[in-house]
Amino acid sequence: MLKQFIEALGKVGGQAAEVATVREAAAYIAGHVTGTLLLPSQPSLERVALAVELETAGVKVIKESWREHAASANAGVTGVNFALADTGTVVLDSTVEAVRLATTLPELHFALLDPGKILVDSLAAIPYLRGFHERAPRNYLAYITGPSRTADIERVLTIGVHGPRQLHVLLLPGLSTDYYEL
Amino acid sequence: MSRERNRNYRQRVDEALASPRLQQALHSFGDAYVVARQNAFAGLDFEAMRSEIGSMKDRVREQRHELVAEFTRNAEAAGAKVFLARTADEANRYIAELAAAQGVKKVVKSKSMASEETHLNRTLEASGIETLETDLGEWIIQLAGQRPSHMVMPAIHMFRDEVATLFSKVTGQPEADDIPHLVKVAREQLRQGYFEAEMGISGANMAIAETGGIALITNEGNARLATTLPKVHVALVGLEKLVPTLEDATKVMRILPRNATGQLLTSYVTWIRGAVPCGEDDKELHIILLDNGRSALAESPQCRDALRCIKCGACANVCPVYQTVGGHVFGHIYISAIGVILTAFFHGLENAADLVKACIGCRACVAVCPSDIDLEGIILHLREVLGEEEGVGAGKALVFKHIMRNRKLFHSMIRAASLLQKPVTRGERSIRHLPLFFSSLTEWRTLPAIADKPLRDSWKSLPQKVQSPRYRVAFFAGCLNDFVYPEMGNDLVKVLNRLDVEVLFPKEQNCCGVPALYSGDRETAVALAEQNITAMLADQPDFVVTTCPTCTMSLQRDFIELLKDNPVWAEKARQLAEITIDVSRFIVDKLDGKTVFAEDPVGEKVTYHDSCHLKRGAGVWEQPRTLLAGSGREVVEMAHSDRCCGFGGSYSFTSHPDIAKHILNDKVKDIEATGASCVAMDCPGCIMQIRGGLEKQEKPVRAKHTIELLAESLK
Ligand code: SF4
Ligand code: SF4
Repeated sequence: MLKQFIEALGKVGGQAAEVATVREAAAYIAGHVTGTLLLPSQPSLERVALAVELETAGVKVIKESWREHAASANAGVTGVNFALADTGTVVLDSTVEAVRLATTLPELHFALLDPGKILVDSLAAIPYLRGFHERAPRNYLAYITGPSRTADIERVLTIGVHGPRQLHVLLLPGLSTDYYEL
Repeated sequence: MSRERNRNYRQRVDEALASPRLQQALHSFGDAYVVARQNAFAGLDFEAMRSEIGSMKDRVREQRHELVAEFTRNAEAAGAKVFLARTADEANRYIAELAAAQGVKKVVKSKSMASEETHLNRTLEASGIETLETDLGEWIIQLAGQRPSHMVMPAIHMFRDEVATLFSKVTGQPEADDIPHLVKVAREQLRQGYFEAEMGISGANMAIAETGGIALITNEGNARLATTLPKVHVALVGLEKLVPTLEDATKVMRILPRNATGQLLTSYVTWIRGAVPCGEDDKELHIILLDNGRSALAESPQCRDALRCIKCGACANVCPVYQTVGGHVFGHIYISAIGVILTAFFHGLENAADLVKACIGCRACVAVCPSDIDLEGIILHLREVLGEEEGVGAGKALVFKHIMRNRKLFHSMIRAASLLQKPVTRGERSIRHLPLFFSSLTEWRTLPAIADKPLRDSWKSLPQKVQSPRYRVAFFAGCLNDFVYPEMGNDLVKVLNRLDVEVLFPKEQNCCGVPALYSGDRETAVALAEQNITAMLADQPDFVVTTCPTCTMSLQRDFIELLKDNPVWAEKARQLAEITIDVSRFIVDKLDGKTVFAEDPVGEKVTYHDSCHLKRGAGVWEQPRTLLAGSGREVVEMAHSDRCCGFGGSYSFTSHPDIAKHILNDKVKDIEATGASCVAMDCPGCIMQIRGGLEKQEKPVRAKHTIELLAESLK
């Protein structure tokens, strides 16, 4: 399933990287970011102290007042609730506004996924989709499949129109087992 | 009919036909689409998927009142406001008043066909509110002051140099016509808008009753911005977007991108339920459920399946008329096949009148529709309605009513015409030129002469050599076979006799009624159906065999529909439909006769043209190929073998000869590219069109009916 996910993600122009530790993930991110990075507070990323690792790696991390900084940020980093293998999709509970800002405005989006949380397809995701709706009264859920794209001029596929130009999915084992946790 | 309207329409047709760049773009898009779509459905059962969508959407229609109530309850529980707008005007007014109350000066919009339908931008701008389209294609056409020419790719009719000119005006400096650069310009220019706007307006692909949420299926990411940054979010949603459950929504999500663009999934699917956090506060979410003709559509038994539409745009992608003239001609706000129907209900029959006739009836749209809508059938019905409202046209009406319904008169007039044409045919089988104002008819194709002796007159002298027949079949010849190509009838007898089948020719058979029906004269079609049923069942044949797939569809499908309200006739129509069969299918499926033709193999290289009504109507396409290959011929496939040839009966003579000519030229090119010396097909109408085009362009390729080639093999 992991292999299928990585392959499908590649087909839609996303990049997958397998990392063994949170430090490796931070180093990977540091290697790509050229400006500030939005880091919304998320349980899985807090548990592994990603912010500290990123700062140690030299990344300028925004941990509050996201709205203020969103327009000028170069990157955003989030966890992933779970992924869909057949389409290479990452599913993010984006009800918290900062998660939306971090995944819409910057040029780069880094998504940290526990490779144990990959479902076969969107049909298998329905119980979780329903679960989200049962657990919280209001929701903003995002299925993200590759970077932003358009073919509106002469049907020529162009990556990165209004949303991120790059989507990096960092596969970090041991990050989270909870499908409802970002 | 409004002359003014028709004149404008004709002018737009001419302009579109004079734009080869557009045609080329739409053709290559169509080609790429077919391949991408095929890959996207690899390993999936499209037929099963679409019948699920179709029946789910039917449930939605039946239970719409309950579902609206459920949706509203759940959405409001999550802090949204729901407004049911009966008309476009009500929807626009609600939004304009809301904007005024909130002191909104600027609105960012993500793509919404419903807002195009209601002309929302006009209303907002009239109230002094700036509206900014943020979908790239929508922004381009907003800058150009145009309307979308495709539901999924609104600016598909525009080219990079035109976009560069538009963008240069916005930035005040020359912008290069390089696509990645132009996309970057759009990103930069539109960015600020999301922060400035106090209101974001979106559409929705689904409104889920179970949750009270909406879902947006998008690629660019602008909808996510427009629904996140501004304080107020308004979603304008057509009532037909309701789905009962998350399962149903997921099914739509799985089929829509695949069928729209050949993507397994779009970059973003966004599920929004309720007033989610926005800055320090919560959002203000308004969901407007738009009726505007949808309830009327739901009440029309003949048209209501159109409410199943999930707006994938595929019916345009594959439509030969769309590919030839584009969406500004073959569409109003909604375009192509579904556009014809929705226009009639959302924007008035008047606006649909020309569009209804512009469809050539090839059913390519029906084959790809993920919601299982018989688009062509519905368009045909609308043509009938228009025939009643606007009249069929004085000359035509006269012919249909007084001449066609009287078989003897009709047939004696055709015989008379055969004499009248003598001076122009000069004894040849084809008319290459016609004098004076008829000359346009032979400008781009030759026309066959009406035969000296119709098949019905020579039938008695046709020797039938069958000792003890396996079957007795009645031949339904159709007008073309009878009066123009009687030799095909001889060939049919020869081939079927060889397979121990006796062929009868019921003399009382008349025109199948399609010309009248397709022109909107239902009454004549009913009269002809009754005549034909009586004639064809009289001798109690085992089968009724046809050589014209349009006649086949008439006998199999249309008669049943035409006579459904009269139980006695309905039963007879059903009997006839049951035994009616196209000749190639008859030979392969019923007679298992393909080996007979292998005795004297012909080495000819043949390509095969799939007639619309044979492949997509009767579902026959393998059998003729089997027979041709079985007779030793080398069958080479042409590109787009099942694309319409542009005949369409009166379509190519009187209604849209200009479009028909373009479609024919495409076909001739595809045939020529195979290098075959013969193109086979199973339809006399297609033969008339394709042979005429090949002859006029002096191509060394003969056009033949499969039955003629099989008869050749028996020589
Ligand atoms: S039937 Fe053919 S011509 Fe008519 S709308 Fe469908 S695809 Fe177009
Ligand atoms: S009618 Fe069918 S093919 Fe056309 S847009 Fe609607 S769903 Fe798609």
